[in-house]
Amino acid sequence: MNVSRISCLILACGNPLRGDDGLGPWLAEWAAARFRADSLVRVRASQQWTPELAEEIAGAETVIFIDSSLETAPGAVRLSPVAPAAGDSALSTHHLGAPELLGLGCELYGYLPRTALLLTVGIESAELREEFSDAVKAALADACSLLEHAVERLLTVAELRASGHRV
Amino acid sequence: MSQTITIDPVTRLEGHGKITIQLNREGEVEDAHFHVTQVRGFERFSEGRPFYEMPSLMARICGICPVSHLIASAKACEAIMSVRIPHTAAQLRRMLNLAQMVQSHALSFFYLSSPDLLLGMESDPAARNLFGVAAAKPELGRAGVGLRRFGQTIIESLGSKRIHPGWVVPGGVTEPLSAEKRDAILALLPEAYANIKLALGWYKQIAEKFRQEIEVFANFPSLFLGLINEDESIEFTDGALRLIDAEGAIVADGITASEFTQVIGEAVEPYSYTKFAYYKPLGYPQGSYRVGPLARLNIAKSMGTPLADAELAEFKQLAAGPVQSSFYFHHARLVDMLYGIEKIEQILSDPLILDKHVRATAGVNRPEGAGQAEAPRGTLMHHYKVDENGKITWANLVIATGQNNHAMNQGVLQAAKHFVKNGKFTEGILNRVEAVVRTFDPCLSCSSHAVGQMPLVLSLLSADGKVLDRVVRS
Repeated sequence: MNVSRISCLILACGNPLRGDDGLGPWLAEWAAARFRADSLVRVRASQQWTPELAEEIAGAETVIFIDSSLETAPGAVRLSPVAPAAGDSALSTHHLGAPELLGLGCELYGYLPRTALLLTVGIESAELREEFSDAVKAALADACSLLEHAVERLLTVAELRASGHRV
Repeated sequence: MSQTITIDPVTRLEGHGKITIQLNREGEVEDAHFHVTQVRGFERFSEGRPFYEMPSLMARICGICPVSHLIASAKACEAIMSVRIPHTAAQLRRMLNLAQMVQSHALSFFYLSSPDLLLGMESDPAARNLFGVAAAKPELGRAGVGLRRFGQTIIESLGSKRIHPGWVVPGGVTEPLSAEKRDAILALLPEAYANIKLALGWYKQIAEKFRQEIEVFANFPSLFLGLINEDESIEFTDGALRLIDAEGAIVADGITASEFTQVIGEAVEPYSYTKFAYYKPLGYPQGSYRVGPLARLNIAKSMGTPLADAELAEFKQLAAGPVQSSFYFHHARLVDMLYGIEKIEQILSDPLILDKHVRATAGVNRPEGAGQAEAPRGTLMHHYKVDENGKITWANLVIATGQNNHAMNQGVLQAAKHFVKNGKFTEGILNRVEAVVRTFDPCLSCSSHAVGQMPLVLSLLSADGKVLDRVVRS
């Protein structure tokens, strides 16, 4: 792809009508407001991660995925690196995980973002409702802080690289 | 002892379905069914709602083809209002519908079916998916992603959202097109043309490798139904329906939405939640017919755009009359997409396309109304009745997948009889049986108005009903 890449792509996943699952779109909205002035940051929220997003990832130097997690304790906020993975026979064209999206981007566009991170918040319930549980409400400040620092760090590295520094 | 094979769930489809194949005591296929195992009931819970809410409510039936529901529903509402929408609104809706067709067909062809076509029906099932396509032929995968993005970007540009846009309303659309958006859409066209050209060229190279599948993938004479313009060119949003027989002779013509329910009936079968549509004068199942890309190309005398016209002429060389094998749904889908891209370019050159008058208004002027449009998978009809206050008292939706239901079941039986011998089958054989259903690109969420993805179960049953084998895909 012959593109000028954005520095940081934030991809959030979740459904605001499904209780705590809406935290992805909530954090995306927060990030869009926080980094509104920064044209090097792009934020996209969707209910599902579909294969088309591989193309957007191929246009980003770094990517931060945001998702809810039923596997961690409610309210637990985690930020960890993501490695690309291949799809298998159970692959859905309606929803891919962060590793599969990275893997698909590698296969289709021969490109992997320099840094790929996954921010998760443990959730209590994804039942039909439009409110977060107390555990997720209590974790929002930490999640925003972690996200903010991660984006700032990635932007700083991008700036240093752009000015010829080895990072 | 006879046997039954169950494929449950059928994969790479939209919704939840199951296939059962019944074997006799000699191990030969006796019967086969494609079951739709989900139910929702949108018609019922729309009762009591104001009619003008119907387009946005009905669009929630499906995340793949919400635009078709928006349009058919809005047209039904406009029949209740007795209004004719402004020319520009009709053109903008047509563009939105075509954009949806392109993105939906791209999903079907590139994401769901190209793994079979590129890697082979017998290839390793673990790699028979979009990743396998991306690894083996990345330019094909990129073309699919590009065409999906083309359609989705236009939908998002016009309707503000990629899924469930609310821009289509009874009377027209809520906002006119700006010059900026028009120019942005025009800028997408060169890449879209390049992508569909790549796909058509590749498909034509490999199609003949599937001669066996062409012969037995729902390859039989049937009626075909689809929208057409007065000049006999293909139409997706307006026009009237034409029904042709297996030889191409016109059985019924000029069928308007208000006449649809007079000539089309819906039968039920105990093994499926999806109804079986048929042409009433011929009864059920003799009056069963096919809709969708194959039907549209069999019915249309022209596409009305130069590149697609050339492709239509080539397509019609495949048979002396209507093309009967449902394997050619794939080919027809690509021609549909080319037409969609060309037609969008034509629409954008309409001198009135930026006109600000895009909505007509009226109240309830009739107690009943129906609207029809071509969804990606075929003809879609919405029919409503309202009380004096405009509240819905009754609703019925006739969906493309229901209209193809009988043909899909016949196709599954035909393929199963050909491939399953002496009660023996392989994963590749079962994949072929699934692939028959996949050619139709059914949307089970629409047909049963149900929620979710479309996994499939395939069961092999003995003559006494015992499950001998069962393949479950999630």
